[in-house]
Amino acid sequence: MASDQKKTKEKAAATGSLPKLPNGDSIRLGKEADGLRNGAFGVGAVALVAAVFTGGGPFAKQFQHSYLIAYMWGLSIAVGAVWFVAIQHLFGSRWSIVIRRVAELLAQLVLLMAVLALPLLAPVFMGNDVLYPWADHHYFHHHAYMASKAPWFAPGFVAARMVIYFGSWALLANYYLGQSRRQDATTGDVALTKRMQGASAPGMILFAITLTFCSIDFLMTLDPVWFSTIFGVYYFATCVLTACSTLVLVLMWLQSRGHLKLSVTSEHYHDLGKLMFAFICFWTYIGFSQFMLIWYANIPEETHWFNDRFFGSWLNATYLLSLTHFIIPFFGMMSRWMKRNTGRLRFWAIYILVVCWFDMYWLVAPNLHKDGVALTAPDFLAWIGIAGILIGFSLLRARDVNLVPTGDPRLSRSLAFENI
Amino acid sequence: MSDPTTSPQEAAPLHGILAEYDTPTALVVASRKVRDAGFSRWDTYAPFPIHGIDKAMGIKMTVLPWIVMAAALVGLGTAVWLQWWTNAIDYPWIVSGKPFWSWPANVPIWFELTVLFSAFAALAGMLALNNLPLPSHPLDLKERFARASDDKFFLLIQANDPKFDESDVRQLLAETTPVIIEEVPEDRTTSDKIPPVLVYVGVLSVFLSLVPFAFFAKARSATTETGRFHLVWDMDFSPAYKAQEVNPLFEDQRAMRQAPAGTVAVGQLQADDHLYRGKNKSGAFSTAMPKGIVVDEELMALGKAQFGIYCAPCHGLTGDGTGMVHKRAETLGGGWVPPSNLHQEYIRQMPAGQLFDVITNGVRNMPSYSAQIEPEERWAIILYVRALQKSQGASVSDLTEADRAQLK
Repeated sequence: MASDQKKTKEKAAATGSLPKLPNGDSIRLGKEADGLRNGAFGVGAVALVAAVFTGGGPFAKQFQHSYLIAYMWGLSIAVGAVWFVAIQHLFGSRWSIVIRRVAELLAQLVLLMAVLALPLLAPVFMGNDVLYPWADHHYFHHHAYMASKAPWFAPGFVAARMVIYFGSWALLANYYLGQSRRQDATTGDVALTKRMQGASAPGMILFAITLTFCSIDFLMTLDPVWFSTIFGVYYFATCVLTACSTLVLVLMWLQSRGHLKLSVTSEHYHDLGKLMFAFICFWTYIGFSQFMLIWYANIPEETHWFNDRFFGSWLNATYLLSLTHFIIPFFGMMSRWMKRNTGRLRFWAIYILVVCWFDMYWLVAPNLHKDGVALTAPDFLAWIGIAGILIGFSLLRARDVNLVPTGDPRLSRSLAFENI
Repeated sequence: MSDPTTSPQEAAPLHGILAEYDTPTALVVASRKVRDAGFSRWDTYAPFPIHGIDKAMGIKMTVLPWIVMAAALVGLGTAVWLQWWTNAIDYPWIVSGKPFWSWPANVPIWFELTVLFSAFAALAGMLALNNLPLPSHPLDLKERFARASDDKFFLLIQANDPKFDESDVRQLLAETTPVIIEEVPEDRTTSDKIPPVLVYVGVLSVFLSLVPFAFFAKARSATTETGRFHLVWDMDFSPAYKAQEVNPLFEDQRAMRQAPAGTVAVGQLQADDHLYRGKNKSGAFSTAMPKGIVVDEELMALGKAQFGIYCAPCHGLTGDGTGMVHKRAETLGGGWVPPSNLHQEYIRQMPAGQLFDVITNGVRNMPSYSAQIEPEERWAIILYVRALQKSQGASVSDLTEADRAQLK
C-alpha cells in the first residue's frame, strides 16, 4: 500500500502533473518549497544552538525559561490547529472545508512538539529544579504545607501525563488527517464525514482535559504554590489566536506562491478574522476574570503571583499587555473592513502572533527576573529557533499532500461560501 | 402580459410592478439586472436570507455598526460614571484597605451596560433603518405575495422611482424570466397608522411602570405611625431560633444548647494556658514566648507576612497607626477612634501575653482575630511587633562592641 502510494507520487513528480482543482487551482506544494524548508530548519537549528550558548547552557535558568516561552508559543499553534479541525467537524461547518487541510497539516506539529518538549522534561526527570522548583524532591520537605500536592509531582505520574497529553493530540491529529486523505482517495465517502463528526465530540472532551492539565503542568507549576482554576482556558484562548493567525499567514503565503488562488477568498479570511477578533475578547474576558477573582478574594497564596507582575517595571509590562493584547486589537480589528482585506488581515495575524509571545513571556519571565523586565538575547533566539523548526517541519509534512480535502462531499459549498 | 388574476380593483394609482420567481438564483440574477439598470426604489422578498443578495442588489454597507458603537460607548460611560459617583462621591465606604473607587470590581458592570446599550441600539437602530414597524403595505393586498414567507421569491420596483416608466420596467422584468408580472396598486383601504389600541396600551404601560417608583418615593419622604408591612413574614421573622435567644421549651430557657459538663470538642482542649491564652501559672500575662514556639528567622518571616496581611491595614506597615484604613477613615471624618501607635511606651512595656490577648480577644474597637490567625501565627506577629518596636527605639546598649566602636 505504502509502496503503491510512493510509486504514484514518483509518477506524478516525474510527469510534472500535480493535482489541481476543477477551477484550475494548484493544490500541491511539491518540490518548490524544499529550499525554504531546508533554510527554515537551518535557521531554526542555528538559533536554538545560539540560544543555548547565550542562555548559559542547556540546563541554565535563562535558557530554560527562554525556551519555555518559545515552546509554549509554538505548542499553542499546534494544539490550536487540532482544536480548529475538531471544532469544524463538531459543528459540521461548510465554510472552512477549503482551509481545513492546511489546519490538519498544522495539527501534525504536535508530533514535533512532543520531541521539542524533551529539553524541558530532561531536567525535571533528573531532579534538577532549574525551571520547576518541585522537580527537586527536597522541595516538599522544606515546604510542609505543599505536602498534599506532592503526589501530583511524582516523576512517574508526570511522565504518564506527558504521554497522555501528546499521545491524545497525536491521535487526534493523525486521525483527522488520515481519514480526510482516505476520503480524498475514495472520492467522497459520506460515511467518513459522519464518522469524523461523530469522533469530534469525545475528541473535544479529550482535548479540553489534556490542554487544561498540560498548561497547568508546563506554566502554572512554575510557581507550585499558586493556582488558578481558569488557567487552562486562558492558555486555550492563546491557542486559538495563534492557530488562526498562523492559518491566515500560511494561506496568504500559499496564495502568493500561486496555490489556492481562486479557492480561498476574502469570505474565508473574513471568518478567520472574526475568530481572531472573538478570541481577543475571550482572552481578555478570561484574563480579567482570573485577575478580578484573585484581587477581590485577596488571599496571600493567590495574590503573590500578581504581586510579581504588579510592581516595578513588571507593572508597565502588565499595562503594555492589556494595551497590546486587548485595547489595540479590539478597536483595530472590530471593523469588517479590517478582516476582508488581505494586507490588513496579514498585519493583524502577525501582530497577534507577536503579542501572544509577549503573553507567554509575561507568564514565564517574572518567575526568573523578580526585580524587573529583562528581555534577553536567548528569549528571541529560542523564539526564532522554535518558529524556524515549526516552519521546516510543516513544509516537510505538506510537501506531498493535497492542500485541499478534495474528497469532502461539501467542498463546493465551501468554495462558493459567502458571508451575508 | 396583463395578468388575469388581478382584480380590476379601484382606479387606485400604481404603487409598483411586482415580479415573481421560483428560485433564489433567479431572484439574484434579476436583482443584478435591476441594479445595473440604475433603479433606486425597489426591493426583493424571500422566505429566507439569501447569501450575496445584498451585493446583487447593490446595497451599501449599513451605518448600524456606528450606531451600536456610539451606544456602547454611552453604556460604558454611564457605568463608569454611576459607579464612580456612588462609590467615591455620594456614599464612600471603607472596604479593608481598598480605595473608595476601586475600579476592578466595577468592570463586570462596565461590560454589562456596554452590552445592554449595544443590544438595545442594535434592535432599535435596525427597526428604524428598515422603516419598521410598518402597519400596512400595498403588497399585503396581493394574494400571491403571501407565499413570500413560504416558497416564492419576489422583486418589486416602485412607481415613485425616478427612472420608473411602466413599459420599460415591464420589459426589463420580462427579460429576467419571472413566473409572472403583476401591477401593485396603492393601498387605499387600510390605514398606515399604528392601531390606536396599541398606542393606548403603550402609554398606559409606561404610566403603570411608574407606580412602584411612586410608592418608593412616598415611603422615603413620608412618616407613618403604623408598623412596617411585612410582605414575606418568614423572611423578616425567621421561625428558627437565633443564637442567644430565649427558648421556653428548655428548662434553662436557652436556645443555644450547652455541651455536657466536662466535654471538650475535638482539637479544642487548649490546655496550655501560655500558648493559647498568654498567661503563666499564676494567671498573670506572661512576658516570655511559650515553650513550643522556636524563635528563628522563619518565625520572624511568618510574623512579618501575617502582620502585613492582618495588622498593617490599620496599624500601618511600621506599626505607627497610620494604615490605609485609618487614612481613608480620617478623610471621611466622624467619630473614628484611631488605631494605636504600637511604639507608645505602654505598649512597649506590655507583656507578650497581653499582646496575645489583644489579638485573640480584641480591645476597644479592634475586633478579635482569633478566627483568622492561628495561635502560633499570633506569637509570630508578637515577635515581629517586638522587632518593629526595637527598630524605633534602640539604645546604644543594644549594639555590639564592634558597632559601638564604629560609631565613635
